[in-house]
Amino acid sequence: MTVKKPTSPHKRAHATKIQPGAYPVFPRNTASQLLRALRDPEIVATAARVIAGKAEELRVAVLGHIDHLEKAARAADMVRIFEQAHEIRGLAGNAGLTATGRIANGLCKYLDAIDRAGSRPDQELVALHLEAIARAARAEDEATRLGDTVANELAVLVDKKLTEINDSARRKPGRDAPSGGA
Amino acid sequence: MSGATFDHLKALIVEDNVHMRTLLRSLLTALGVKHVYEASNGADAFVILRDKSPDMILTDLSMKPIDGIAFTREVRLSHDSPNPYVPIIMVTGHTERLKVEAARDAGVTEFLAKPITAQGLFLRIAQIVERPRAFVRCAEYFGPDRRRRKDETFTGPWRRHEDFESGVELK
Repeated sequence: MTVKKPTSPHKRAHATKIQPGAYPVFPRNTASQLLRALRDPEIVATAARVIAGKAEELRVAVLGHIDHLEKAARAADMVRIFEQAHEIRGLAGNAGLTATGRIANGLCKYLDAIDRAGSRPDQELVALHLEAIARAARAEDEATRLGDTVANELAVLVDKKLTEINDSARRKPGRDAPSGGA
Repeated sequence: MSGATFDHLKALIVEDNVHMRTLLRSLLTALGVKHVYEASNGADAFVILRDKSPDMILTDLSMKPIDGIAFTREVRLSHDSPNPYVPIIMVTGHTERLKVEAARDAGVTEFLAKPITAQGLFLRIAQIVERPRAFVRCAEYFGPDRRRRKDETFTGPWRRHEDFESGVELK
């Protein structure tokens, strides 16, 4: 379908577009050299090895954050729990702790939604996540299907909770009324 | 292997986690980028930005006292900014839609979700080098054009100057 653009605007918005070149971009020679390097299989492989070589260091860092996470949990400090879970989800994937990262991500999503809704977190759900994060990261076999199964089951729980939060937000007075409605 | 080193290319990494910072530095070094600067938050990063004027920035989202969103806004809008057009790649573990939208609306050029992969990072850098995006300036926004795709079925509302065939302004 072809859309015919209007010839006379009702209102002309004050937006201007600045095309590349009108502002500084990478010089042509640098750009082509850089693109060659970015697509060089050997350089990509070297970079992948760099990431793989950092896995153990990152795993130790994740375990350090889990200690902080457990301290935050004992203090029932939800802000610090979120901060630590966020650090863990950021590092876990590159540490080879995929399930740990997924569970931490689920907890972050839940706490973020709770915070925005101004609700109180379900302590049981939070506790389940904290235990699962710690166990998955400390287990020798984190990468096995067991960790993934736990991550999947917790993800279902978080989705259910997020639906409840969204439904509850929709039911709040004032939210149903259409803007400027009668 | 190209084995090129980019003597004049400067990159700035803004990340509060030292492990991630080191990882990103190592990846840029593997690529041949010689000058890599580091900051652990948006406030320190802005000082480096003014001093070194990097060609690209990789930034995290969550940092204190100034996070990646506020830093991006500062780069794009501050009168002190040496290059408001500098490409900014946000490297983040945040997957919450509202955070991602806030970062996009602050003027982030590309997103890279953690965990980091070499292909993922290199693809984002290739995008900013090969296909630099137009910038849009209006009352509410300054940054890379947020419309990435042209939708042929879009029927309006038409709001931008270039949407119209005639440049005649209605009075």
